[in-house]
Amino acid sequence: MAVQPEIEKRGFVQTVLDAADDVFTRITAGIPAGEVRRMLRGEAAGRPNPRLKPHSETFLLHIKPTYYHDSVTKFTHTFRLGLLSTYLFFVETITGLILMIWYAPTPERAYVDMIRLLSNVPFGQFMRDIHRLGAEMMVLIVTAHMVRTYLTGSYKAPRQFTWFTGVILLVVTLFLSFSGYLLPWDQLAFWAVTIGTSMAEAVPPKVVGETVNLLARGAPDIGANGLLRFYLLHVLFLPLVLFLFFFVHYYKVVHFGISLPSNEEEVGQDTANKVPADRRVYFLPDVMIDETTFLIGFTALMVAVTAFFFSAPLESIANPQSTPLHTVAPWYFYWLQGMLKIADKTVAGVILPGVLLVLLIAIPYLDRNPSRRGRDRRVAIISGVVAGIVMIILSWMGTPYYAVQGAPAVEIVQELMPEEGMGPVREIGYQHVPLGVYDTRERPESADEEFNHILHEFEASIAAFAEKDASFNNAYGILEVTQEQPSLKRITWKINWLSPDGKEEHFVRTFFLHEDSLYWEQYGLKDFSFVRPPTQE
Amino acid sequence: MKRPWYSFLYVRSPLAKIGLGIVGVLISIAVLLFLGVIEERRMSAQEANWNGRGVEKGAEIYMNNCANCHGVDGKGLPGVAPALHSKYFFTQRLTDVGWAGSLHDYVKLTVASGRPSKTHTQWAQVMPTWSQRYGGPFRDDQVENVTAFVLNWEEDALTQGVAENPDPWQPFTDTPSKAVASDGAPAAEEVAPEATGPLPPQELFVSMGCSGCHNLDQPQTSDNRGPIAPNMGNLPEEAGTFVPGEDAETYVHNSIVNPNAYIVEGYMAGIMPQNFGERMSEEEINAMVAWLLDPNRQR
Repeated sequence: MAVQPEIEKRGFVQTVLDAADDVFTRITAGIPAGEVRRMLRGEAAGRPNPRLKPHSETFLLHIKPTYYHDSVTKFTHTFRLGLLSTYLFFVETITGLILMIWYAPTPERAYVDMIRLLSNVPFGQFMRDIHRLGAEMMVLIVTAHMVRTYLTGSYKAPRQFTWFTGVILLVVTLFLSFSGYLLPWDQLAFWAVTIGTSMAEAVPPKVVGETVNLLARGAPDIGANGLLRFYLLHVLFLPLVLFLFFFVHYYKVVHFGISLPSNEEEVGQDTANKVPADRRVYFLPDVMIDETTFLIGFTALMVAVTAFFFSAPLESIANPQSTPLHTVAPWYFYWLQGMLKIADKTVAGVILPGVLLVLLIAIPYLDRNPSRRGRDRRVAIISGVVAGIVMIILSWMGTPYYAVQGAPAVEIVQELMPEEGMGPVREIGYQHVPLGVYDTRERPESADEEFNHILHEFEASIAAFAEKDASFNNAYGILEVTQEQPSLKRITWKINWLSPDGKEEHFVRTFFLHEDSLYWEQYGLKDFSFVRPPTQE
Repeated sequence: MKRPWYSFLYVRSPLAKIGLGIVGVLISIAVLLFLGVIEERRMSAQEANWNGRGVEKGAEIYMNNCANCHGVDGKGLPGVAPALHSKYFFTQRLTDVGWAGSLHDYVKLTVASGRPSKTHTQWAQVMPTWSQRYGGPFRDDQVENVTAFVLNWEEDALTQGVAENPDPWQPFTDTPSKAVASDGAPAAEEVAPEATGPLPPQELFVSMGCSGCHNLDQPQTSDNRGPIAPNMGNLPEEAGTFVPGEDAETYVHNSIVNPNAYIVEGYMAGIMPQNFGERMSEEEINAMVAWLLDPNRQR
């Protein structure tokens, strides 16, 4: 187009404005500035709707529906959990890629790389924390998504296959989270994964179980090969499977439409794709603004929680020779650990989870009831709630509080100063553990208020165990704190007691505590005391 | 339709929603800025933390593996192993052995590869190789941790060399110190412990270094042999059977003052220090013999 005749005809200013609008329209893939203005003002679109163009012009929008039924755009219908799961997958991909820069999957380097990431990479700890938090939230949100789908009966015809891909996505999410667990190569990771893979060994017949275990670990025990395999599973194979199933899942969601709230249609009907003109809510701009604001809000929440309340754990380096006391699976596998405590490894570790998975997939075929209304589905909803309660009970049984109490003396020390992790003594730290010998028979007091709490707890804990355990009589404890080296204290726990036949027994456990050591819990307000250097006395 | 109780949370205006989105972005940026400002301090705190934890781990390794010979306080045991918690060690040792690298490297190398090549040494026991790379039990990180623990004595060791806090260093006979007195190096005579009357055998057994090699609890049998020196769990029964014509008392006494006179089969001559006759009084040696041969010996 010739510029000069244009200017002559319409004037300079108008030509520039038109050109600017043209550029704007290209950037927005078809929506001129005036239309954006009307969108922001909440005005309805004209007919034909000029806001549909981006859906055909752009790749990212062509997979989004152009409009939804207004009843499914209500937040409380879906809680946008599917969107959130997808978003978390992208968060995990991006933070994971950044973490990969400083990580090499070998036993010689993995743990050292973690320390280097924490102490030498700006925002390294933040990236690691947010990646870990994202992984745990993803498990939580994918599960919640499935629970929501179950409760609204949205798995019913014609969405059986959508449900199936959803179950696969849940399983892949769990495995993704679990495979990432091993990568820091600390005690927590090593033993959780050792226990996890040992369940594969229980697959009958024996030769299959052993082969599966060998394939997963790369050797009879987890070592360099196992770490590499879990790394490749975590960064390549499982994300690819997830990616594939995500698109199948999403295609099915768009294809059938999001199922409407059950009171919007007759029993047995599925009108999700026949949206009357007056019930349409267009993606542009309403749903897009909702989704974007929601995700930004969620991101802000995640950033704030990561910054102040969540720290990914890092225990001692993996040591195949020593199993820490109270080894636990990640919390989303507590239920499995709980089952393993009450049943045989083959039954609880392989057969029951397998049956559970098949049951989950089969739900749409087992439930022949065509109605999605709550009052018609009492059996389904009650059995779902019962299953949920059973899961929670099993999960509780998976924690160390159930059926794995060790000897009283071991438990008393573990409670105050665990082999791994923080515990109350490390929480108050070097400065608050005064030198001295403290005998619980003499009601010891020290100058430090926080340390006195520990002494009281020590005393109370011994008394509590002595009361409920008949083989633990006349028990008393001696806590000895000595200066081992400059900035290093030696903390010796001694517990003496009489066995039922009157024999004197004792238990001694020694720990060291360095002035600069920081220990932390996974959840809870972070310690920012490093911001202000400690006042010199 | 009935409005639910939480309907006050509804935001309808697109501009209000966008405003909320902008607030969310600003909150994220503010949090990240805050983290950015304290990031340097966080990183140095983490660095110190992991060094500290390394020392903690090293302390555990030292107590279980090294304290037997180098002493619980790191001040060495006479005739068994040199002091590490020593001013000489931190200030002069590298010069005397002609080591060009850092003390950290020197300690790490010694821990990792040991001192297996020494033949004529004043020490009762060779330093074993500890690194898995050379057939020992420790991974690289454990070698690094125990090195960090040993080096952590520096601050305290540098205050040594005064009368109330002498340097425990025992001079090496094969590398005489090139240090002069003005460097604060210990004179040899300063090191020798003052005679303070006869000491109980229990104490001497540790301070003379016997416990570094001889196990008092395990019996010496053909399938349970002490690795460096015979076990002494069943010494009271067995002592009279080794040398014809020597009763138990004579045999043990001879073995202390003249260790090479009779070597139990499978052990090397010259490992046990030859100078116990000079370092302990006759009274102490006799008490030691009686104690070792007491079937109910008390620690």
